[in-house]
Amino acid sequence: MKQLIELDINNRVYEVAVDARDLLLDVIRKKVGLTGTKKGCGEGDCGACTVLIDGKPELACIKLAIACQGKKITTIEGLVQEGGALHPLQQAFVDHGAVQCGFCTPGMILSSKALLDRNPKPTQYDIKHELSGNICRCTGYKRIIEAVKAAAEVWSKEGVK
Amino acid sequence: MFLNHFEYFAPKTPAETLELLGRLGSKAKILAGGTDLMVVMKAKAISPEYLIDINGVEEFKGISCEQGKGAVIGTNTKLAEVQFSKAIQAKYPALAYSAGEVGSSQVRHMASLGGNSCNASPAAETPTPLVAMGAKVVLSSLSGDRELPLEEFILGVRKLNLAENEILTKFIIPEPTQKSACRYAYMGRRDAMEIDCVNMAVNIELENDGETVKNVKLVMGSVYPRPLVSKEVPTLLHGQKLSDELIEKVAEAAQGEAKPIDDIRASAEYRREIVKVLARRLLIEAYAAAKGV
Repeated sequence: MKQLIELDINNRVYEVAVDARDLLLDVIRKKVGLTGTKKGCGEGDCGACTVLIDGKPELACIKLAIACQGKKITTIEGLVQEGGALHPLQQAFVDHGAVQCGFCTPGMILSSKALLDRNPKPTQYDIKHELSGNICRCTGYKRIIEAVKAAAEVWSKEGVK
Repeated sequence: MFLNHFEYFAPKTPAETLELLGRLGSKAKILAGGTDLMVVMKAKAISPEYLIDINGVEEFKGISCEQGKGAVIGTNTKLAEVQFSKAIQAKYPALAYSAGEVGSSQVRHMASLGGNSCNASPAAETPTPLVAMGAKVVLSSLSGDRELPLEEFILGVRKLNLAENEILTKFIIPEPTQKSACRYAYMGRRDAMEIDCVNMAVNIELENDGETVKNVKLVMGSVYPRPLVSKEVPTLLHGQKLSDELIEKVAEAAQGEAKPIDDIRASAEYRREIVKVLARRLLIEAYAAAKGV
């Protein structure tokens, strides 16, 4: 039996009809139409579906949509800055060539954002440890880590929302 | 990979939760983090008729850790909170460390401390140090609460000492005694999203002289259907001062008690070797920390 729920995604409230068993990932992609969040393994291992829920990184492929009412969900689309500019993390990924096929990128960036929000000056180990749940099969980890470091510097200089 | 159809409940209070559990019993599953439950439901290993989502119950969350009063941790406290809690890091470093090694950052922000025990996986991280520190669990139902040492709560692979109308509501961890220290270590193929092939915690308490062992508890994970508390290690170490020779003897005793199996993560033979390595390492670390050096 479907029921009508409200989901706050990127500061916009969407009214969607869901089954109790519908997963947040499928609702975001198919019902809301935001396809930046990717479906990888579907078992919570790869991190491609990472979204921020109340600022914390969570896995949308093993999260019930119905359990997300009243929470603030941020997807990669929500990082857009005023005037459509890229978020400093996105810019750093572009500048450092940290994107190859791009499938893991939205999850990588959201996990990095959660890390920098909590710890604006992470060490190399902090970055590796916190991003270890995001798997890149192009194996471009080195540049991803460099990009996060660079973004952290911008972060501490300018402050980012 | 669709989930089965189920009816979803989101109680707001412990009383509502207990009432639902009393009514629905074994047809219901409790949803905390879902990092294990959703995965087994997707695999169709289980298909519960009802899900009781306890994330709206504030009383099941939070850490209370005051000086001299041990700690009480709500069942649905996320592992990331345990990992980053300054109070837990200071008083129970082995627990904070083990919580920080579960799954990935995302998993730790979703998964709960209670779930890590209730899932009753032999390879679980946090039950090992919790047992070593003498943690108790509080099990609640409509007919009241009961307390149980964690080591009597986890009975085997996916087996708990839990009635179908009961729920684990909190952990009670005793205050560490003077001149004591607990340390945790693990071995796995990689650091993240990996299931330990062996994990271990050692809790040592010294006499006032700061050298003689008063109490010791060595707990092994992933080498037995449940956290395995060594019986021989305390016998060997009680009243003794740690020496290289004794460390070797104790590590061998722990090795002899472990009953690992062969699986995709490691062979039993390798696991037995690792038990010795970790035991040696942890005895030295915990002993030094208890001495305060």
